[in-house]
Amino acid sequence: MGTESLTYAVWHHTTLRYTDSVALSFNEVRMRPRDRGSQSTLAFSLLTNPAAVPRSRIDYFGNYVHRVDVTTPHDVLEFVVEAVVENSEPRRRRLPHWSDEVLAADPRLEYVLPSPRVPLAEATRSLWQEWNGNDRSFDAVLATAERIPKELRYVSGATTVESSIDDLLAGGAGVCQDFTHLFLAMVRGAGWPARYVSGYLGPTGDRTVIEGQSHAWAEVCGADGRWVGLDPTHGGFTGAHHLRLAAGRDYRDVAPHRGLFYGRADGARPDVLVRIRRMSNQQMETVQRGAAVHWQQQQQQQEEA
Amino acid sequence: MAKSQGSSLLPQGADECVRRDGSARLPYVDLLAAVTRMHRQLPAISRGAQEAFAARNVTFGVPQDGVAPIFPFDPIPRVISANEWRTLHRGLSQRAMALNSFVSDCYGAQRALRDGVVPARLVYSSTGYLRDIVGVRPPRATWCHVAGIDVVRVQGTFCVLEDNVRVPSGVAYALEARRAMEKVAPDWFASNAVRRIDEYTTRLRRILQRIAPRPWEAAIALLTPGSYNAAYYEHKLLAEEMGATLVEGNDLIVSEDEVYRRDAEGGIHRVDVIYSRVNSDWLDPLVFRSESMLGAPGIIEAWRRGNVAIANAPGTGVADDKAIYPYVPAMIRYYLGEEPLIRNVPTFDLSDHVQRDHVVTHLDRMVLKPVDASGGYDIHFGRLSSSAERAELIARIDLAPRQWLAQEEVELSRAVCLRSDGGLEPRAVDLRPFVLLDERPWISPGGLTRVAANPKTLVVNSSQGGGSKDTWVLSR
Repeated sequence: MGTESLTYAVWHHTTLRYTDSVALSFNEVRMRPRDRGSQSTLAFSLLTNPAAVPRSRIDYFGNYVHRVDVTTPHDVLEFVVEAVVENSEPRRRRLPHWSDEVLAADPRLEYVLPSPRVPLAEATRSLWQEWNGNDRSFDAVLATAERIPKELRYVSGATTVESSIDDLLAGGAGVCQDFTHLFLAMVRGAGWPARYVSGYLGPTGDRTVIEGQSHAWAEVCGADGRWVGLDPTHGGFTGAHHLRLAAGRDYRDVAPHRGLFYGRADGARPDVLVRIRRMSNQQMETVQRGAAVHWQQQQQQQEEA
Repeated sequence: MAKSQGSSLLPQGADECVRRDGSARLPYVDLLAAVTRMHRQLPAISRGAQEAFAARNVTFGVPQDGVAPIFPFDPIPRVISANEWRTLHRGLSQRAMALNSFVSDCYGAQRALRDGVVPARLVYSSTGYLRDIVGVRPPRATWCHVAGIDVVRVQGTFCVLEDNVRVPSGVAYALEARRAMEKVAPDWFASNAVRRIDEYTTRLRRILQRIAPRPWEAAIALLTPGSYNAAYYEHKLLAEEMGATLVEGNDLIVSEDEVYRRDAEGGIHRVDVIYSRVNSDWLDPLVFRSESMLGAPGIIEAWRRGNVAIANAPGTGVADDKAIYPYVPAMIRYYLGEEPLIRNVPTFDLSDHVQRDHVVTHLDRMVLKPVDASGGYDIHFGRLSSSAERAELIARIDLAPRQWLAQEEVELSRAVCLRSDGGLEPRAVDLRPFVLLDERPWISPGGLTRVAANPKTLVVNSSQGGGSKDTWVLSR
């Protein structure tokens, strides 16, 4: 692959079905792509049903947060995100290791310390030892990202959104969130600042559309201050089809939705659908001429019909 | 002379009040003369004070069967000379300003972390460090509007035991103690030039008014966790004396980033300032603990946008973390360019291997405390632990070294206290002065003196059954 850029249309539909009626709900969503490096978001819209006016801010980790207050009674709440994101293949650079003294007074120390979902336990430390011995170089980091998917099985439904690293190691199977948490624990234990990235995986090869869930991977920071994306689910560097949404210490910091509600309901069941479509040059020109993103979706629906 | 009369009555070891030779320390001369002269009346004075508290319903503690206990009280005041207070005042002012600068820095440029003055590791791993408020600049750059800095006298010199800059409580008990003592022992005040403390609520109100978005018509609400909070009495008293409205979380509504309160008739009123007695991580369930029923969703965003002022500002817990405490002297040098005037008790960071080993080998000289607890719970004295308890304690520390702090055990000064049988005995005391921070600090003369529950214990916390005394600062 060259440095040619690829453009994707993202459609991300979240439906929260409450168990009963809700009088009032407050929500914070992290669903707007946060661009870095080769990625840029050309268009973005967030619509909600019931309709509300989202207000945005940027959080501690640099992510966009939209606050959505719904003050009319509802029992279903939907978020529809449509975005056009352009990305090209990131450079696969090797990173220099930090010296402990420099890192101790650097803000990126935040990403070496344990975080709520990534405790630094003996189990992950000894796993690093088993796989890499005393090697703490970037090669060992890369080898770890490559080895995780070989040692552990990807089984959707094997774990839940609340599962811990211990659950993954005990069961030997999990999903991208678990693999990423494990990877973070291992590389942080070896002294590398590393963060959790939530995002989407676009179609590759001959495919132009991919449907499913969102994805998660990691970014590791070198002593030169550069961050590099590594995907411990697919094993290796991230590519142009890794579309970045938000980053933080672990899943907790980037959860796409968190909210509060008041009413008779005692819970909510989320349904998430993500569709990523690689756009042709012709479709791209339409976007660049300023046409709305939903035009793209209409086209797509017509094709499917 | 007081000396000859007192020496037989005054207990041994009450070094706060009495010299080694049995004579009263200078600031106590007049008071102890009166105490020894009328020691038979002391139980009556004590009863009178208790009745005064009961009449005003001064309670501390969680209600049991619907009734909260009356605050335990000792009738013999604690006296601080004008000179001692001058030094304390300067030292406490310095400390409060440095703590405020530190909080401001943590949520701003983090200069002290980059310059290695305070280890970044401790801040980033502190439960008091609230990432959601990084970048916020509260009005007048004041975060710690009220600080309660606990000091103890060790071999004649005051040192700081801990800093409370989240929701320091106790001032109402100092105010009530004075009120009761003036009633039951007016003569004692006639012969001593005791500085008044009743200015406190006016001062606090002024500070709250000045940080309001609309200072000319600041509507102040005192946010309490509710009547089941141990210090509920204090919340009621302060609200009443400041002309603030006492509210609970469910009285507050946030709409379009403005804060309102609902009154009993269903009326809606704007709130400009929240004097919060709720820990900041409970303030806004949307941002912090989603299970919190003590705050209201949206308060933090309203505060972030400057539509409401909150005192103490959310996030001050980062300076209140006991693991940060050892670095306060360094903060004073760094932010103020001054030498600290009150020293710390020697303290050890247990996540550092060398310090941890030192603590373990000298465990009998150490006190171990959890870093983010208050109320004097889970405190261990190495000297008093059995070998099995020590082993268990060391195991707990090694499992979570960041959660613990070791301090050298210090001998707290002991003040003369009245025993229930009418005799006198020495008991350990500390002092919590209250520092109000605006452009410059203002400190209520004295503060809350807490007394250990009996002559043996060294924990003076009110949640541990200790009592209090009136605290006198002499004006000359």
